[in-house]
Amino acid sequence: MKRQLTITTEPIDEAALLRERRASAAMGAVIYFLGVVRETEGEKKISAIQYEAFQKMVEHQFHLLFDTMEKRWPIESIRLVHRVGLVKVTEPSLWVEAIAPHRGEAFAACQWLIDEMKRVVPIWKKPVS
Amino acid sequence: MSISVHFYSYFQDLTGCAQTSETVAEGGTLADLLKIVFRRFPKLAAMERSMLVAVGVDYQPKDYILKNGDEVSLFPPVQGG
Repeated sequence: MKRQLTITTEPIDEAALLRERRASAAMGAVIYFLGVVRETEGEKKISAIQYEAFQKMVEHQFHLLFDTMEKRWPIESIRLVHRVGLVKVTEPSLWVEAIAPHRGEAFAACQWLIDEMKRVVPIWKKPVS
Repeated sequence: MSISVHFYSYFQDLTGCAQTSETVAEGGTLADLLKIVFRRFPKLAAMERSMLVAVGVDYQPKDYILKNGDEVSLFPPVQGG
């Protein structure tokens, strides 16, 4: 399984990510998910979210998740970009792409990865008014 | 033995620092270390139930036996995405 993990303070460049997409002829499903900063956090209006990461552990935990993912689903490629630092409202903080032979496994793997990320990957957010 | 303890997210506000160093007896566990840390930073004790604990870059249970030079990290539930 090809894996690409990027933790960055830079804006997510969707156009560049799409240009770099590689899928073999056996793949029938390419799905991607974009997590975007909303203008509210609970009841409160915000302008941005400040993301903090324990970088070394973030990378290690993501690779453990990718290891598990590879055993559970026939994923050919997983690419994930997570921003850290200040991310303004309407900007994406997370971009995930999974490529698999069929849509069922691509959706399932992507959903599982995001759920697990929110459970074990040490990234925190602080709303900014 | 000397153990460095790192705090992340709002745990830094509760302790007023990003890291500290504590001395734990040989054979001491994470649970022993936490007792020492909670005595020094009482506000953290209230967070014990939801607190996540890692040694290096791996999560470890409270009965993990510490080794000299271990780097322990304490932080609240994660919120990526």
